[in-house]
Amino acid sequence: MVHALYEAQRVLQPNGILFDLRPAPVHRRIGIQTESGVQEIGAMREDLTDDYVANQAVKQVVREGLFKSEKFTQFNCNRVMDGLQEFQTWLLEFTTLGREHSSGHHWLSERVERAHHAIHGKKKIIVYSPLMLRLLRKLEG
Amino acid sequence: MALRIDPEKNEVHALKAMTDWRNKRVIEIGCGNGRLTRRLAYLGAQIIAMDPDRKLIATARKDLPARLSDRVRFKVGSALDLKYPTQTFDIAVFSWVL
Repeated sequence: MVHALYEAQRVLQPNGILFDLRPAPVHRRIGIQTESGVQEIGAMREDLTDDYVANQAVKQVVREGLFKSEKFTQFNCNRVMDGLQEFQTWLLEFTTLGREHSSGHHWLSERVERAHHAIHGKKKIIVYSPLMLRLLRKLEG
Repeated sequence: MALRIDPEKNEVHALKAMTDWRNKRVIEIGCGNGRLTRRLAYLGAQIIAMDPDRKLIATARKDLPARLSDRVRFKVGSALDLKYPTQTFDIAVFSWVL
């Protein structure tokens, strides 16, 4: 990871900006939104090891004087799905990202399905996905 | 039936709040299917957008609106070996790369 940061530093102009945008090291939450509000279904169990390793890589290039960390924010980048089929497809893709905990998410899939069938009227499935964004300023390291 | 990612556009709002993107030379690393690339291009950036996945790059090229075609170039490539000279870009964006 740190090598990618070195490479970005190389191609940036003096005083250039590197944005590090990625999932925050927290577990995504799943909810079903209806006209009366959101019913929370559960939180995913994710392997956050890579997130912590990435944080360490950023700390390393800051410590080496290659970048200065100037700004940081965290926000939700939600996935909004009309039905169960989209949720199942998304969950399947999620397993390929390498973030899935070894215990899997069959339990969550079943829980969402039960809740989705139990709730009548207009509804959407929402995956609350917190992202973090850091602005790193290139220094002449 | 549909899946919408970030319908509130929180992602691009956060990026817009942090800097002025107009006419900036940007390299986006890990652009995937170009979803964020298109949003950054609408902010006025000139973007080289890269991803190691050829299929995603093909999708990104296909989905790029014609009016953005002079602002965006999609390339297959790795974050570990950027084929550009030193000090080429004003901004680098790591999209879920680290």
